[in-house]
Amino acid sequence: MRRVLHLEKIFISQYLKQTMEYKADFIVGVLGVLLNQVLNLIFLQVIFSQVPKLAGWSLQQIVFIYGFALIPKGLDHLFFDNLWIVGQKLVRKGEFDKYLTRPINPLFHVLVETFQVDAFGELLVGVILLVMSSATVHWTLLKVILFIVSIPFATAIYTALKIGTSAAAFWMKKSNTITYLFYMFNDFAKYPVSIFNHLIRWIISFIIPFAFTAFYPASYFLTGKNVLFNLGGLVVISIVFLFIAIKIWNKGISSYESAGS
Amino acid sequence: MSMIEVSNLTKDFRKTIKSPGLVGAFKSLIKPKYETFEAVKNLSFEVPKGEILGFIGANGAGKSTTIKMLTGILTPTSGYCRINDKIPQEDRQNYVKDIGVVFGQRTQLWWDLPLRETYSVLKEIYNVPDKDFYKRMDFLNEVLDLNDFITSPVRTLSLGQRMRADIAASLLHNPKVLFLDEPTIGLDVSVKDKIRHAIEQINQEEQTTIILTTHDLGDIELLCNRVFMIDHGQEVFDGTIKQLKNRFGHIREIEFELVNAEDANRLNFSQFGSAIEYSQNEKNVRVKFDSSKVSVPDVIRLTLSQVDVQDISVKDADIEDIVRRIFRKEAAEHD
Repeated sequence: MRRVLHLEKIFISQYLKQTMEYKADFIVGVLGVLLNQVLNLIFLQVIFSQVPKLAGWSLQQIVFIYGFALIPKGLDHLFFDNLWIVGQKLVRKGEFDKYLTRPINPLFHVLVETFQVDAFGELLVGVILLVMSSATVHWTLLKVILFIVSIPFATAIYTALKIGTSAAAFWMKKSNTITYLFYMFNDFAKYPVSIFNHLIRWIISFIIPFAFTAFYPASYFLTGKNVLFNLGGLVVISIVFLFIAIKIWNKGISSYESAGS
Repeated sequence: MSMIEVSNLTKDFRKTIKSPGLVGAFKSLIKPKYETFEAVKNLSFEVPKGEILGFIGANGAGKSTTIKMLTGILTPTSGYCRINDKIPQEDRQNYVKDIGVVFGQRTQLWWDLPLRETYSVLKEIYNVPDKDFYKRMDFLNEVLDLNDFITSPVRTLSLGQRMRADIAASLLHNPKVLFLDEPTIGLDVSVKDKIRHAIEQINQEEQTTIILTTHDLGDIELLCNRVFMIDHGQEVFDGTIKQLKNRFGHIREIEFELVNAEDANRLNFSQFGSAIEYSQNEKNVRVKFDSSKVSVPDVIRLTLSQVDVQDISVKDADIEDIVRRIFRKEAAEHD
């Protein structure tokens, strides 16, 4: 574990050095992220000022759910964004070879190679929204602990879906459109699932379980009800999905065909 | 005991057959047709510790596929390889600690950062202790002259510098086996020379077992104790370079510069049969032949009797010619 953290540190600093190598690009990138998040905040302000209540949830509660949704999404984005590149080109162009000739786990190697600074925007907005709406939650020590524990599990759902779908590239050569298709469902996670019809509700709960990254855990903190389903479900779903994703990934590696050189 | 043991190694790829054009692409999307392509068929060989094996063959012969199975990148369809007492696919992470890999066409260096940064990251990845690392860097600096460009970003390096840097990167952890896939491709003579010298030195000092694929006869002649040649994924030759030349005849090439390009029409080598062939480019006529069947003076005498010649040069054949020759012979035997 110490070695894992050590390598993580090395790779992150390496990535930041690379980013800073192109100064203008870096500065424009940071400005872009800030602008994007400011616009997001304004947009949310407009929506929430028009919709005071949604399927029985008050504005404050919806802000909490929305803010909660951004935390695991932002963390996954920050640390594990390189998975997109697997389905986009690493496999198709045979660049994945490199990861297989190094004495560290290839999945770990791919994951730690980037550190997507853009994600700080999402995380920042998420934290702001959570702070703004935290008065609506009746906090207890237990809830605080569960809140902290639920974040890594929720993040793991994002990461598991990205691992599984990008591993499809080992057979299909290119799979980032599948990752994109799955990833788009996370938009549903920002709102109470009760506003969707049964099919979508079922899909985002058990097939592409983004509802467990935001609405279910957040609704436990808001109402204090159904801890078994809302948080227990999160833990079970994230472990099961991560397990399946890693199985697919490992199977994929043995089907990897590289590319002619 | 052998450092590398390869037994009945086979790799099949499944390919989609597509009719040409956009319509064909649509058809194959709806009803794909597959065919199996055998890239490597039943290869078996052994390499003792400390040997440099030249692994040669035409483009598409299955060299890279074989190297990729040996390095653990690809999983064989059947058969196995055991290297340094490990099966690469079963124990990959452990296995790669003791091997170094260079693919001449790709780089494993961090593109945007000074070269030195790559080495310090690789040091962490391979868990090389400080003391060994500095000693190793000194040695690599000495044989590959890295000091001139070690602080430059990798993207600014010339091809020759990059290749030297890549070879150094593959040797940082002092591997027992080194795989070099076309390490001299596209390099000028002086850089080639430096790299060959470095490979030789590394092999001698550390008893590193090396598998080298190349299209350059010079690499093979200077470095390899042994040559292994494949074609269509199958072994066609295994032995020393001398045996290779003896067995497949000395291919010689003579280039004549004619006084008049039109004279080439008058050339007629039919009396030598299939042992000879020639090609023409303006005033230059290249004649290739098997010197075990046709003598050099005979070819020159016959040519001079048929056309007016300005200049003559006699060359040794390169590996490509020998390889091509072997393949034609093999093909003829199959028919």
